Amino acid sequence: MNSYTEKTEKSLYRIIDNANALILYLDVKGNIIICNKKIEEVIGKLKEDIIGRYWLGFLSRDDNTGMKQQMFKAVIDDSIKYKRSNNFEGIMVDVNNNEQLISWNISPILSEDRELEGILLIGNDITELKEREASLKKIDETLKHILSSIREYALYVINLDGNITYFGMGAEVMLGWQKNEIIFKHISILHAEEDARSNLPFILEQVRQVGQYEVETQLVNKDRQSFPVMLTVNKFLDPQGELTGYIFIAKDITERKKLEYRIFQSEKLAAIGQLAATMAHEINNPLFVISGRLEMILEQEGLDDKLKEELTVINTQADRIRKLVDRLLKFARHAPPKLEAISINEAIESVLPLLSYHKLPVSNIDIEKDLSDNLPLIKGDLNQLQEVFVNLFINAYQSMSEGGKLSIKTSNFMGRFAEIRIGDTGRGIAPQNLKNVFMPFFSTKKDGTGLGLPICFNIIKSHGGSIDVESQVDKGTTFIIRLPFR
Amino acid sequence: MPYKVLVVDDEAPVRDLFSDLLKKERCTVKCASSGEESLDIIKEEDFDIVLLDIKLGGISGLEALKKIKDIKPNLIVIMITGFGYDESLIAKSKEYGCSGYIGKNMPISQIMSNFKLFAKTAQEGTKK
Repeated sequence: MNSYTEKTEKSLYRIIDNANALILYLDVKGNIIICNKKIEEVIGKLKEDIIGRYWLGFLSRDDNTGMKQQMFKAVIDDSIKYKRSNNFEGIMVDVNNNEQLISWNISPILSEDRELEGILLIGNDITELKEREASLKKIDETLKHILSSIREYALYVINLDGNITYFGMGAEVMLGWQKNEIIFKHISILHAEEDARSNLPFILEQVRQVGQYEVETQLVNKDRQSFPVMLTVNKFLDPQGELTGYIFIAKDITERKKLEYRIFQSEKLAAIGQLAATMAHEINNPLFVISGRLEMILEQEGLDDKLKEELTVINTQADRIRKLVDRLLKFARHAPPKLEAISINEAIESVLPLLSYHKLPVSNIDIEKDLSDNLPLIKGDLNQLQEVFVNLFINAYQSMSEGGKLSIKTSNFMGRFAEIRIGDTGRGIAPQNLKNVFMPFFSTKKDGTGLGLPICFNIIKSHGGSIDVESQVDKGTTFIIRLPFR
Repeated sequence: MPYKVLVVDDEAPVRDLFSDLLKKERCTVKCASSGEESLDIIKEEDFDIVLLDIKLGGISGLEALKKIKDIKPNLIVIMITGFGYDESLIAKSKEYGCSGYIGKNMPISQIMSNFKLFAKTAQEGTKK
């Protein structure tokens, strides 16, 4: 029995000695009774010099204030006094003067009758762990910084209730909300009402089923202006793989949409142009015969007045068709521009006096000109561009029947284009009509042919430029033309 | 303007109308319904002016123009077009020696005054 106990005791010492941890056993006064090899190694002293000494001088070297050492002492005193376990993280300087961060587990050892026999300290070197933690934290911060630096994409996260829990810098830029204004608000604030009700739940359902969902949709900024985005939504999982929310990444595709629309528009116009040319030709022949015969009859002498009147009506209407077909042909058979170096300001100025030839209510409209005086010359066909300006000015006037302001502004756009903005304060164009304004035969005017703007579109396009329109109902419309410099 | 005119158009109502309009102006008029027919007639008969539609069944107006000019280089040819103003077609016609063009999309009065103008200018040109 006795030899067995001895054997066990030896084993215990060996275990303690070989344990890859700092192990100390203190008596109730705090003097070291047992220590293991690891302690010898770290402190650089032999057991004989350690055992029997008060623990404090060995286990902690301190900063100048002595605060850290006092805290450690307080923790151990606490374990002695209240017979309870404690944890403490302290720095130990080893024999080579390296700092080691040690996590100490301090346990009171009690006798069978619950008297304190001593204090067991087990310490683990957590220097590397802490360093790894610190570097992870740094990575984490770098990632956060990267995420918040992305301005091209709006990145935001919602929780399962649909409330926004993260809102990146790109999201702030794109959507106009500041982080602190929008955090914990419901995501529906970023969508049009109808969209938030029907589309959003569908998107989230898709994400739950498939894991990711990508869709072209519209978002609404703080000013309630909607714009097209490519939206990618992912599951947001916690480390255990539980769904905790959704990650949204939105890319503003306004410019791409505009380009796509322009290409679509050009192709459509080309197709319509071809059709129009064929049709115009087929109409012209019979129309020529109708008009010619009518005129011959009308020139006859002794024609009954009533009959003459009726034939004149027919002739007038036939003439109307002729003019329409003419205009259609002009649109379809748009001649390539004869490009010369011209001053865009002079082209505009030359058109303004012509406005008086068109029956326009000129009196109650102010013209505000802001023409940049250092614009390079552009490549242009003066006649064709004049036609564009006349068309746009007339449209502007007609939309301001109650009076208003016609503003004409020219400027240098990115050093490559002359930009001409022609704005009115008229009744504006309804959003559903806005996309059709360059479509042939689309007109909201009572007697409009719907060919004016398509002709403008063709002319500007053949100049290698672009024409766009912005409009708000009852506020006005602005046409933006860009023509390349020479 | 008592010209002798050959009207070439593949549509009868158009031929007839031109014929009547010209007769009103005291012209002598003969009609052909195709380019081929017009060439046969021109070989047999002399005209002051040919009114020739650009778009014809069979050989095209442009081909007919070229052949007419081969047979009778001094014959005045005025092209008729239903296409309105088409720069490339007109340039081609001029290259082949036509003296002018009339668009069916013009008002009738303008068609006739253009006809007279081209005819007069062309005649003065050939006299020189």
